[in-house]
Amino acid sequence: MEFTLLAAAAIGIAGVWLMLRWEAARGIAAGCARDLWDVALGAIGAGIVVGRVAAMVVAGVNPVLRPADLIIVRAGVATGWASIGALAVVTWTSRRPPWIVADGLAAAALAGLSGWHAGCVVRSACLGTTTDLPWGFAASPGGLPRHPVEVYAAVLLLAAALALALWKARGRPPLGVPAGLALASAGAVRLVTEPLRPSLGGGPVWWYVAAMAAGTAVAARRWRTIAARRSLPPL
Amino acid sequence: MGRLLSLLLVAVVVLAGCGGADVDISAIPELAETTPAEMEALLASSEAPVVVNVWASWCIPCRSEAPLLERAAAEMGDRVRFIGVNVRDSQDGARGFIAEFSAGAEIEYLFDRNGEVPLALGGSGAVPLTFFFAPGGELTHLQTGVLDERTLALHLDELLGG
Repeated sequence: MEFTLLAAAAIGIAGVWLMLRWEAARGIAAGCARDLWDVALGAIGAGIVVGRVAAMVVAGVNPVLRPADLIIVRAGVATGWASIGALAVVTWTSRRPPWIVADGLAAAALAGLSGWHAGCVVRSACLGTTTDLPWGFAASPGGLPRHPVEVYAAVLLLAAALALALWKARGRPPLGVPAGLALASAGAVRLVTEPLRPSLGGGPVWWYVAAMAAGTAVAARRWRTIAARRSLPPL
Repeated sequence: MGRLLSLLLVAVVVLAGCGGADVDISAIPELAETTPAEMEALLASSEAPVVVNVWASWCIPCRSEAPLLERAAAEMGDRVRFIGVNVRDSQDGARGFIAEFSAGAEIEYLFDRNGEVPLALGGSGAVPLTFFFAPGGELTHLQTGVLDERTLALHLDELLGG
């Protein structure tokens, strides 16, 4: 039922909150954690709505004539459009320079996605393609063992979130680079786990490739720009 | 705020033009009536796995999963039999729904005015319901509530042996 979907969403939001708190306790984004939390909540809500509307349009259901269908979130949320909607709201509602906000949310967004995927446990929706590996689970008694693919995604995204947060705490990376790397990591994790997910005719791989390419390009460009500024002689 | 409202207005106007609600049901034939006994016999004699989706035209989640079932039937209709059982509905309502959401689907539609078939198959009076049957009629999974793509793909994969 939809309640399990809400529980998974709550785990994802808890992931965002915990990472923001963890970073604030280590002096990262200190002083603007509350702003970031507000922006993150708005982005999550907008992402779900935009992604759901896009999925309805693709499926041939008119969202204006059938507004009640919007709440049937389980029927599908278009991942790519949801991400674009969330990023648009982050840009629109930020009261601080966009790169500071994007970097502040980078690790938290990955932790939130990790929580969302980990929520498969309450949704009974962790399983993917069949496997002979010893940690495979069966969907039903006597069923075939399968990859717990959503757990793989949750673990990889959490590892990426922690690595990014630790780097931000210790390395002081150039502004904009953590945001780019977070986008690239999210795309990469979905890209590598997608072949293990059961789907009708393949998942939205194109979006994940685009996210990886865009994130990597942003990170590389910001790194070069800031490195060039640092190397300028003082006036 | 003004910019946001303008953007919202433009989005609503664009989305309103994405499709219409006027449907012509004349091309959709009346649905054949079925009974629990007929459905049980059909399942028992089927040599292919069968997916039975229980729906109604007044059911909002059914609208959302209809395109998914249509896609699944188009992809796997040669290996899995898809049956849509319309319950507690009118013929015109059912035909209107099919015309609007599933006109091209490779799904066999049946009509169960009193909603007795899902109860006989082990389900409830709720809609939507989706039963997954192995060849011979053994129930492998009953999905209560709306289907998502992963769940449908997973249980189809189970029916087809991975």
